[in-house]
Amino acid sequence: MTELKIALTLNGKRREHRVAAHRTLLEVLRDDFGAVEVKEGCGEGVCGTCTVLLDGEPVSSCLVLAGRVDGRDVVTLRGLSDGDALHPLQAAFVEHGAAQCGFCTPGMILTAYAFLREHPQAGRAEIRRAIAGNLCRCTGYTKIVDAIAACAKEAASRD
Amino acid sequence: MPAVPFEYAAPATLTEALELLEARGDDAKPLAGGQSLVPMLTLRLARPAIVVDLDRLRELRMVRRDNGVLEIGALVRHRALERGEGPLIACPLLQEAAALIGNVRVRALGTIGGSLAHADPAAELPAVVRALDGTVVVRSVRGERVIAADDFFVGILTTALQPGELVVAVRLPVPGARAGSAVEEFSRRAGDFAVVAAVAVVDLDTAGRVARARIALAGVGPIPQRLTRVEDALAGEPPAAETIRKVLAARPLEIEPDGDVHASAAYRSHLARVLAARALERAASRAARSTSP
Amino acid sequence: MTDGTAVTRRALRVVGQRLPRHDARDKVRARTLYAADWQMPGMLHGAVLRSPYPSARIARVDTTHAVALPGVAAVLTARDVPHNSLWTDVPGQTSTVGPLRARIQVLAEERVRYQGEPVALVAAETCEIAARALELIEVAYAEQPAVFDPEAALQPDAPRVHEEGNLLARWQVQRGDVHAALAGADLVVEHTYRCGLIDHAYLEPEAGVAWVDADGVVVIRASTQVIEHFRDVAEVLGLPHNKVRVIGPYVGGGFGGKEDVTVEVFLGLLASRTGRPVRMVWSRQESLLARPKRHPFVLHYRTGAMRDGTLVAQQIELLADSGAYAYLSALVLLYATVTAAGPYRIPAVAVDARVAYTNNPPTSAMRGFGAMQMVLGYESQIDQVARRLGLDPVDVRVGNALRRGDRLPIGQELDTHVAVAEATRQAWAALGPARAPSTPHHRVGRGLACNLQPYGRIVWLHDWASAWVGVETDGSVVVRTGVPDVGGGQASSLCQIAAEVLGVDADRVSVHIADSALTPLAGTTTATRQLYMSGNAVLHAATQLGVEILQVAAQMLETPAERVTLRENGAATASGRRVSLADVMKECARLGVARSYLGTYHAPAGDPVDLERGGGRIFPDYTFGAHAVEVEVDAETGAVTVLRHVACHDVGTAVNPQSVEGQIQGGAVMGLGYGVMEEIVVERGVNLSTSFAAYLIPNSLDVPDVEPLLIESGDGKGPFGARGIGEPPIGPPAAAVANAIEDAVGVRITELPITPERVARALRLFGGG
Repeated sequence: MTELKIALTLNGKRREHRVAAHRTLLEVLRDDFGAVEVKEGCGEGVCGTCTVLLDGEPVSSCLVLAGRVDGRDVVTLRGLSDGDALHPLQAAFVEHGAAQCGFCTPGMILTAYAFLREHPQAGRAEIRRAIAGNLCRCTGYTKIVDAIAACAKEAASRD
Repeated sequence: MPAVPFEYAAPATLTEALELLEARGDDAKPLAGGQSLVPMLTLRLARPAIVVDLDRLRELRMVRRDNGVLEIGALVRHRALERGEGPLIACPLLQEAAALIGNVRVRALGTIGGSLAHADPAAELPAVVRALDGTVVVRSVRGERVIAADDFFVGILTTALQPGELVVAVRLPVPGARAGSAVEEFSRRAGDFAVVAAVAVVDLDTAGRVARARIALAGVGPIPQRLTRVEDALAGEPPAAETIRKVLAARPLEIEPDGDVHASAAYRSHLARVLAARALERAASRAARSTSP
Repeated sequence: MTDGTAVTRRALRVVGQRLPRHDARDKVRARTLYAADWQMPGMLHGAVLRSPYPSARIARVDTTHAVALPGVAAVLTARDVPHNSLWTDVPGQTSTVGPLRARIQVLAEERVRYQGEPVALVAAETCEIAARALELIEVAYAEQPAVFDPEAALQPDAPRVHEEGNLLARWQVQRGDVHAALAGADLVVEHTYRCGLIDHAYLEPEAGVAWVDADGVVVIRASTQVIEHFRDVAEVLGLPHNKVRVIGPYVGGGFGGKEDVTVEVFLGLLASRTGRPVRMVWSRQESLLARPKRHPFVLHYRTGAMRDGTLVAQQIELLADSGAYAYLSALVLLYATVTAAGPYRIPAVAVDARVAYTNNPPTSAMRGFGAMQMVLGYESQIDQVARRLGLDPVDVRVGNALRRGDRLPIGQELDTHVAVAEATRQAWAALGPARAPSTPHHRVGRGLACNLQPYGRIVWLHDWASAWVGVETDGSVVVRTGVPDVGGGQASSLCQIAAEVLGVDADRVSVHIADSALTPLAGTTTATRQLYMSGNAVLHAATQLGVEILQVAAQMLETPAERVTLRENGAATASGRRVSLADVMKECARLGVARSYLGTYHAPAGDPVDLERGGGRIFPDYTFGAHAVEVEVDAETGAVTVLRHVACHDVGTAVNPQSVEGQIQGGAVMGLGYGVMEEIVVERGVNLSTSFAAYLIPNSLDVPDVEPLLIESGDGKGPFGARGIGEPPIGPPAAAVANAIEDAVGVRITELPITPERVARALRLFGGG
């Protein structure tokens, strides 16, 4: 067993940590950093509930060994908003009823966030493609697409 | 579940990595993007003594275009292929195929070298490399070997890699003028591993006939399979859909699919024919378009 | 219903609004603490050892090495369980129904009957140690004869899964002379349909934390649809029921899979044995392997019709696979029996329904609960009646549709609005102009399917729900009720109801749910019953409290109470004089007038009826609906794409239209998954679908936007005339797709899931197999 010293930025704050090398980023986030906003849904990178942004790109934190994040930037859903204020995507999810049980929501919003940054004015079909790796069992996706599309439309109207 | 504890090393240079792999032999497991290996670890199905993390090997992230050959470092990620970053733009087939791999998170971390070394029979990139007659550059402390794609894939999850060897790069010929390519994939769920995928590359001659057609299939046998009889029969023919269908219908395909929970062997054989036809048709029409003024 | 009727007479302000749910802000910021998110000081980690064999005798269990592993706090086997039985019929939850035998061993004693059956428990300092300890438990198994097919299980020489035999339950219905009616029919359509084994596949796997509190009460905070399993845990632990408390956090999806006990009993055992907090979180693989699933059915239908499309007879034989244990199978089969003839008037009906034990994974509750599987049968049949007679599929359904006052084959009279005909017409019309195929080798087709689904529990169970409503001296409202919220907006709707009645803004209502010790018990979040039951309980409590408050307000306003109303966070007269609710409550406090009310709603109750002798009322009421889909079939591969999906249901009154739409859209997509993708593949009792890579639930590219159409008849038995909508939308999609495929390419698929391969085979695109 190897123990590593890692330093990462988590939601803008620098964290130093000692961690056994066989643990995953998901385990470290939830168990050591108390970042329980990152959910475990399948443990094999299929469902997307454990999505975090690693240097800005969505990844499955269950498929990243902890040693990999040394010197990297990690953002969870809590990194998107400050205090009580909601990020526009979060507000849109509330307004459109896009969160039912809420378990897929953190990963879904992070995936949408990363996607809209690259494609701020995306249409419904592109949005459906972008979130295809994040499973939801409650909503049937329509209201999730509604919420993301509303943000994209907002971006389009600003231009 | 937590993984069974293992030793971990993240060497900073390729030499170091190769020395480690040589020294530890079968006890060591190299880690590229981790999208296949990490779940095996956390499901406790793989229990290596040491994981050699290649993430710091910047030299394996280079992409070069040289004399009509694209050399892609083993650690170039699927996302870079999908986006056609830098010289990768020269190979549209890679863009099309990479976009079909898994989900956006898999593509963010998964690498071309990892995909080839893992050799999943349903994976897209091994079929692409075979269809393009690419070569795989592998290295160990004993030196470098360049292995043709035809010889690299040996069986299910099995390659020609020897103990201590690592895939360091892939070389693909840059498509010329009058060439077209296409991928047709059939999966049970969008983004999942292919049940069957067909990768086609068609080169036309100056007369607009097929100079060379290449077709590789994934999901119909232990390794990505070329349909050489079909390819040979298409040479010199017009690149028309009817011709392609006729040629495919007239020949038994060189495939040996197995059935699983997602599709029976007979259905895979059927899909192979349909997807091969569609991929060839699309590749041919793209080739024709690239020649038209 | 007098409460509801009184209120519906005036315009509704809060009920009927598309209000964001009160829990949404926390969920989008990931502040909701689900079961696995809970941590306690000194917490241990629990894990379950499961049988690798579907049928085996346990010769020996040796825990020595596991116990000796440093960091292991407890290793338990069947010997260590005070009362090693879970019963599905604990009083207060399910009274004994018919031939129900529903004992489940908590940990396997001398026999295991399915792959994944729990054999031993571990609690350790870390998950890693617990995982290692499981590997160190040595179990010697001797494999036993097994049976994997319910038909084979009912043969006289079949290996017995349980000593009492493999026929678990049988229900029969007889109305009219079905044989004579079939003989007299112009057309008889006969088919056998099959539907597969389905997992709930909620995104949150089973999880919980348990501890023993300062009063010696075993507290279990777990992801569950049924906090009243505290009784089951108490029985197993040998404790009085009042020494076990279950707290239900917001649940990451239930769909029936968290209706039976999951982690609760294991947690209770480990926490009380170790005296320390214990967390148990099942992996996805464990969840898919070991937890009860939806019943596969074989449905045999013979349907008789006259030339004009009138249905005259339906003879139905059903056989379901219960897997290795009974769980709720007998009840699931009853739902199937009651609804098998569909939402149609058919003078002669015979149903013979059986469910058998096998050594497959056990089956129990899942959204639709036996009724949803029937839709493939009756809707495929009526579609073929229309097709073979050259009649319009809408006309045939409308012509045969049940109406208010009709009786179901089991004898129950339908005493509320029956919206089958209008739902059918509206859903079909909403499809709009037909789309052209996207390529020359694609074909487009359309299909319809109607359904009926009970809401509320079987009347024999004498169901009730309680809720406490209080108003604070600042005028804010508190609702307490033991409702588990599984994500459908169960708690949020209650806020809207209380706000409506008490004349306050919905965000002035705070709701405390799902604590078996501190919230009045409200029963299970199952059977599409929470809005109906707890909604009525809150309505009743708020109404009674409102009457008290109004008296005081009237005194303060010096106006007769009948001319004062509660609105805008206060009480006001018609002329506009008003007093704030806060002031009224302070006055109540001064006068000693109660500021809270505990309301209980009792559902219509009845005694078990004899189905074969005419039967009677079995369910409080039903929700009716119709879905219309347009599909495109790839005629070369058999792949089916659903292009459009319209889902129309009579929801009575939409308390929150956004939540109702969400239920319909989510249910419809889950129904599509069941129809075209999902299947737990089991080979000789071995589950081959124990990962999310193997068990395919739809993603955003597999399904279209679902267009919900709400019919609001105002004639349901819930608050303000609402009907339940949690389960109903899952019924029609599979049959609607099957019907659309026949419309597109002329082949009839009778087996689910309708995989591309099945379509390709039906189209004879390839041979062999």
